[in-house]
Amino acid sequence: MAGTADLSERGTADTASAPEDDGALAARTRGLRKTYGRTTAVADVDLDVPRGAVLGVLGPNGSGKTTTIRMLLGLTQPTSGSAELLGHAMPEHAGRALPRVGALVEGPGFHPFLSGRENLLRCAAVEPELAGAARRGAVEEALERVGLTGAARRGYRGYSLGMKQRLGLAAALLTPRDLVVLDEPTNGLDPAGTREIRRIIADLHAAGTTVLLSSHLLAEVEATCTHVAVLQRGSLLTQGELTSLLESGGTSLSVSVSDNSAGMAALRDNGITTRQEGENLRVELTDVEAPDVIATLVRAGVGVHEARRGRAGLEDIFARLTEEES
Amino acid sequence: MTTTPAEAERASSPPHRSAAPLVRVLSAELRWVLRRPRNLLALLLVAALPVLIGTAIVLGGSPPPGHGPPVLSSVAGNGLMLPVATLVLAQNLLLPLIAAMVAADALAGESSHGTLRGLLLAPVGRVRLVWVKAFGVLAMTVLAVAVIVVSGTITGLVAFGGDGLVTLSGTTLPLGEALGRVALAAGWSAIQMLAVGAVALAISSTTEHPLVVLAVILGSLIVFGVLGAIPALEWLQPVLITTGWSSVVDVLRDPILAENLLTGLWRAGCYVLIGISATIARMTTRDI
Repeated sequence: MAGTADLSERGTADTASAPEDDGALAARTRGLRKTYGRTTAVADVDLDVPRGAVLGVLGPNGSGKTTTIRMLLGLTQPTSGSAELLGHAMPEHAGRALPRVGALVEGPGFHPFLSGRENLLRCAAVEPELAGAARRGAVEEALERVGLTGAARRGYRGYSLGMKQRLGLAAALLTPRDLVVLDEPTNGLDPAGTREIRRIIADLHAAGTTVLLSSHLLAEVEATCTHVAVLQRGSLLTQGELTSLLESGGTSLSVSVSDNSAGMAALRDNGITTRQEGENLRVELTDVEAPDVIATLVRAGVGVHEARRGRAGLEDIFARLTEEES
Repeated sequence: MTTTPAEAERASSPPHRSAAPLVRVLSAELRWVLRRPRNLLALLLVAALPVLIGTAIVLGGSPPPGHGPPVLSSVAGNGLMLPVATLVLAQNLLLPLIAAMVAADALAGESSHGTLRGLLLAPVGRVRLVWVKAFGVLAMTVLAVAVIVVSGTITGLVAFGGDGLVTLSGTTLPLGEALGRVALAAGWSAIQMLAVGAVALAISSTTEHPLVVLAVILGSLIVFGVLGAIPALEWLQPVLITTGWSSVVDVLRDPILAENLLTGLWRAGCYVLIGISATIARMTTRDI
């Protein structure tokens, strides 16, 4: 819980400083396209992942999130367009980019006949940046980080869905990374596991690691991300900082007044649209500023107990964006 | 002494390697192959095979000439025939099955577990991955052949004794040379099985169902066997991988009858080349 609150605070604090030129991008795609026969999975996506950001790729199932990520990581050949990872063209220079990238794509992949630790040791053996002697230490550290030390000797066969997901995360975090890519990281996790993932993402963000995560869970993205990209049916609808996206969704003012009907009348007389919402009056701040609303009420002799700015949630914005498109 | 500055540098700035050391990756692959219960079981099975055959012959005598493989009838009293006789029996189905099984696990199996993705993301380059996987198949195939031959030699010497080998031509070879002949047979047979493994690897790279690989390989062996037995299709013989597998016993003639053995090597070499090239071609373009 503390981790979540912490993150949203930090998220708004340091995204403003990131300049948007190429050198500041951990990953980017230009005109990225993938078609399977007549189906277009990804249509000309220009995605920018700023360095140091936690970018959430949002979209319903089948919107092209995973395909985009797979092309970015060089697992799938794009039909056309280009992808760049940490400044290296993919998939041509995968060897230069991928050692600094940790990824959990399409669920964890491990061998059931090996224990959790043995599986990680096998991953560690092929990690270019892990020196031979440092492998065991790195594996223990990664297990510790995802809370699997106690189950490390058990066969992967007997792991629960959540434990499998954690092991996948451990493999992505075996060495210090510049970019961590997590495809639906909280799949199969209980609320405690979800909080744990959020904490790990917050830690990565605090350490300056760029995180790219995909999700169809809006609340998850709203709680963990500094940046958002919205995909639908393979097209990128919008991308940018979470805060500015939320701003664009419109701000409203919720006012608690002594007399609701008098307040509504006063506002309406001054051309300000308002509606009653519960005990309070709600004013959309589209063509009016908050101080004007309060001044109008006070001038009309209506007592103002409390006024609070509210934002449209990501859910409202997402619904609006996807509706506009369809 | 020389490592100290290197280590100091590593501590100050992270090393930038684009691939893990090859020896480390290969030994990890080897460990992975040999940790797998079914592979260990297969090795145990091939180790038991010569013991089983040897015991059967001791108890019931060797089959009369004309029944079963000719080498089998000359095992009694001629212990070093046993490893080669077992090899002839095993290379018809058991050894190809083992080669195909390991090749099936190598790419199709890893793909179905999602672990192939992990290897590529590490990253292990796609071409390098094929060589690493081919190494795993090679190691397991050679090991299976070696286990048969070693177990067969020991069983043969214990059960039938003999300080030499009576060749199929009737001459007697001293123990040293006889062991050399057995090793030669093992090497030749291993290369034939590697040809099967290479083709299996190519099939393995096209699917994520290990069973498909086994089915295709075993199916082809059976079909090849049938085609090879039809006189009208004699022109097909030179391209069938199974052609001439039985000529491994030519090693036991005096002098060695080299002609069929050499053609067999060429054929196997071609299959290995085709198999590995097809695997690389597929793996470098495949979505994983």
